[in-house]
Amino acid sequence: MTTAQWLLMFHITGAFFLIGGSVAAGVFNTFSRTTDDPGEIAMFLRMIRLTVPLIGLGALLTLVFGLWLVHEDDYAFFSFWVIAALVLWVLMNALGSAGGRHQERARKLAEKLAASGEASNDELRAILRDPRGNALSWLAGLATLLLLIDMIWKPGA
Amino acid sequence: MIAAVRPDSWNFPLFLHVLGATLLFGAILSAAILSLVAWRRPDARALGRATFFTLLIAALPAWVLMRAGAAWIYSKEGFSGNNDPTWIGVGFIAAEPGLLVILVATGVAFWWRRSNKPVAGHIVAVLSSLYVILLGVAWLAMSGKWG
Repeated sequence: MTTAQWLLMFHITGAFFLIGGSVAAGVFNTFSRTTDDPGEIAMFLRMIRLTVPLIGLGALLTLVFGLWLVHEDDYAFFSFWVIAALVLWVLMNALGSAGGRHQERARKLAEKLAASGEASNDELRAILRDPRGNALSWLAGLATLLLLIDMIWKPGA
Repeated sequence: MIAAVRPDSWNFPLFLHVLGATLLFGAILSAAILSLVAWRRPDARALGRATFFTLLIAALPAWVLMRAGAAWIYSKEGFSGNNDPTWIGVGFIAAEPGLLVILVATGVAFWWRRSNKPVAGHIVAVLSSLYVILLGVAWLAMSGKWG
């Protein structure tokens, strides 16, 4: 295998960790909104925490090996697709983190209600159905999709 | 350079293939986590339901997208099945038997959802965990162009 093939293998591994982990987090977040039992809501939202190290490692691998590939394959660092990728990478992480904080708030409240044996209340339902919180996660997903498009078409390369 | 050796007409099928493969990995990973958590929480009925719907609504369509993209780019790249490189063979090994694994896991997850029998959840956990590993080997082989 050539150096570029090794780098591409680690870069794509990062992409699988990042996108796969994000999909799993999205699945758990979606199922947390299909039940009214605080114990089940907390259980689904706790599972999102399992995906965070995978997403973080994926984000790191895509960035490090992506930039190394740009150098190895003699692409220009200031070409449109590289700059667009970096902007989308930052956006994706910022939006994903903000969405994650929203889910953490819901998890803590659901765990509190479950521990005290209480049923779901309006505050928990409001957090789970907050359109801003959910929009952050969807927009992070959109940034990831655009990043994948940018990687494949490489506009301006 | 990578862009120089791949014609533009290959981009869309490649995009479909990679998108389908990453979504498939995420869906199978979700099913594996859900069913492994159920191993420790056999009383949580919601896990069987969530696993079944994840496999049915996310994993199966993602597999179709991945496989359709693969078939399209395979024909564009001019492979014929004779002396194909190793990485193509590894991809086929992950794709075709993978569908069988997903279908069996979905069927067992349906049984799990209806009966709440822990053994059904255990079977789904084993199948989905094995498929996560197989998908990992496939993307390493295909991205590193083994052989």
